[in-house]
Amino acid sequence: MTIYLDHNAGAPLRPEVRAAIERFLRDEGANPSSVHRGGQRARRELENARARVARLIGAEPRQMIFTGGGTESNNLAIFGATKAQAARRKIVSSAIEHSSVLAPLSELESQGFQVIRVAPDRDGRIAPERVIAALDRDTALVTLSMANAEVGTLQELAPIGLAAREAGAVFHVDAAQAVGRVRVDVSELGCGLMTLSGHKVGAPAGSGALYVREPAALAPIILGGPHEAGLRAGTQNLLGALAFGAAAEAVEHAFESETARVAARSERMLSRLTDAIPGLRLNGPREGRIANTLNLTFPGVLGESLLIALDLEGVEVSMGSACAAGAVEPSHVLLAMGRSAGEARSSLRLSLGWNTTAEDVERASEIIVRVWRRVAESEPAPRGESVEAIR
Amino acid sequence: MSARVLVAMSGGVDSSVAAALLCEAGYDVVGVAMRLAPEPPPGIARRRGTCCSHDDFEDARRVAERMDFPFYVVDLREDFSARVIRNFVNEYLDGRTPNPCVMCNREIKFDRLWSRARALGADFVATGHYARIERGAEMRYRLLRAADGSKDQSYFLFTLGQAELARTLFPLGAMTKAEVRVRAREIGLANADKPESQEICFVADGDYARFVEREAPRGRIRPGHVVDSGGQVLAGHAGVHRFTVGQRRGLGIAAGEPLYVREIRPANGEVVVARREDLRCAGLVASRVNLVNPELCRAGAVDVEVKIRYRHPALPATLAMDGRGRAEIRFRSPAPTVTPGQACVFYRGDEVVGGGFIDRAIEG
Repeated sequence: MTIYLDHNAGAPLRPEVRAAIERFLRDEGANPSSVHRGGQRARRELENARARVARLIGAEPRQMIFTGGGTESNNLAIFGATKAQAARRKIVSSAIEHSSVLAPLSELESQGFQVIRVAPDRDGRIAPERVIAALDRDTALVTLSMANAEVGTLQELAPIGLAAREAGAVFHVDAAQAVGRVRVDVSELGCGLMTLSGHKVGAPAGSGALYVREPAALAPIILGGPHEAGLRAGTQNLLGALAFGAAAEAVEHAFESETARVAARSERMLSRLTDAIPGLRLNGPREGRIANTLNLTFPGVLGESLLIALDLEGVEVSMGSACAAGAVEPSHVLLAMGRSAGEARSSLRLSLGWNTTAEDVERASEIIVRVWRRVAESEPAPRGESVEAIR
Repeated sequence: MSARVLVAMSGGVDSSVAAALLCEAGYDVVGVAMRLAPEPPPGIARRRGTCCSHDDFEDARRVAERMDFPFYVVDLREDFSARVIRNFVNEYLDGRTPNPCVMCNREIKFDRLWSRARALGADFVATGHYARIERGAEMRYRLLRAADGSKDQSYFLFTLGQAELARTLFPLGAMTKAEVRVRAREIGLANADKPESQEICFVADGDYARFVEREAPRGRIRPGHVVDSGGQVLAGHAGVHRFTVGQRRGLGIAAGEPLYVREIRPANGEVVVARREDLRCAGLVASRVNLVNPELCRAGAVDVEVKIRYRHPALPATLAMDGRGRAEIRFRSPAPTVTPGQACVFYRGDEVVGGGFIDRAIEG
């Protein structure tokens, strides 16, 4: 049996989601925009799902736009908000965002926008005052993630929300990794846009949503119909929406017990690994992080090698960074946090989730320690990088 | 538990069939494709058929999916640059003609990849090379030519020692290329008829001289002169790295009779040319010699056959080791040009005795 410790890449389907999908497969599919009664039933299902997803972040259902996933939501937020605020030519973000934010920002930069990428501290925290200092009357958009995908650091966003509002800039929060792991409330954060991803909470990939506080702040980037308040044309993916709705409800229902359980197991895993692996280091803050995420620098090994070795032993983890056709580039997040390229290459991300059992944690810890020893012995990583121990 | 074997896969037909055969034989196969060559600089397109391209990795991945074994692309670009490309550039700058495939086998496939294999809990490394390994008496391993003489690649493998041979598998050693293609089709491999790669994989456009010029440290590329044996200047040239001993074309001189590069003198930038018959030599000196079978060389000079280039018939000769990793080869009858930098490999019958890198010719 494999042990899946890659929830930040995508959570396995929750049983409630499976049930919703099976229900969908039994019913006749219809287009929620159709006039006939089949269409009306589909519409009702879609709106129920929308309400469930909205509840997850304290939003009104009418403020939720269904999209094809977190990446699309981020693209829509960034391109749509800058398009709607055409007179303003500046964007403030950070150096540790997901590639679905960084790539649109580079694109806009090449079109003449000024992009400020605030650097984090060693734990991946973005100082709110540094973001606020960058705001001015030319700022169209502030875009930041609530929880970092690679290291899990949670950002202090509320002061930024206030300042952005004062400056008249749209504040977009990428909450794809935060939802389901911490309480998320759009009114507390003061954001105008928020990205959600279905498959980070146990729905299939291909389902996402964008919270839009005021439709005027956003221009559509996909044209071709009045769907989703005119902000995202195309017949809705009813299956995806239903699955996302079911996942949202399950997350909401189990929130307290699940987050406490995952935190305890993650803590247990960290302490077992720390005890057995001298020099192991946690990347990201001890407190103030989504507890399921353990980004660890393993002394003396290449992350690539350890990852493959673990996979062959049935433990599935991740490098935490994009890996295109086998070219392992050191994580931009870890580099921005001041790690060396060598340290970044020796790091892996373990992310626990709703289905991680206590037994998984014990077995995985045992395997990781054993495999780390073997890899360190057989294929020592190039030296020259110092790795401090966890304090 | 069956033995785990790490199979180096290029996406080509040979390594694909090798992996499939090991699968069928019941090994716990783990496929890896190595990312070795750095991205070519902007404006230089990768030629089709050079390895390490995205398409090749996808071909290898499809084989793994079809045969249902795990497959990974591993990033060994830094090691490859440090251990193979740097050597390639330095050899050319030193007036020698390197063989990067030999270096890649020595430094990457049977060294770096072996560390990775151990890290992954593998007992063996396998490749699609055409060569055979035989376990002889007292656990001594012998490296032999492939059954298919026209495909034999043992030349590239002389750097393997006993420790490497003990944990290496060459599943294609007893097969012909035609048989391999038939097996590829039987297994349903999509790449059964894929042409073979010929170029140096990291020189994307095939222009190795320009590659050396790009990679060389500043000031290392110096123009010089093409001279005859008497020191008479015949032409100018743009750098010794553009020449190889034995070369005839591209010398930039119009002489009455064909002239060939006889010697390259990197210290003063001279490229000495001569008539063909003046290039013949009585023997050669090779260094960095590895003896695959040291037993055979214990008793002073031994009779061997020597390959001085991959595509060159083996020449009868005597081999004497000097005790410091250098070998002196005396050909039975004068041989055509030997090219410093190239590998020379010693055989006895089908067996690879050892090999080294040619330092210089011994004149007759």
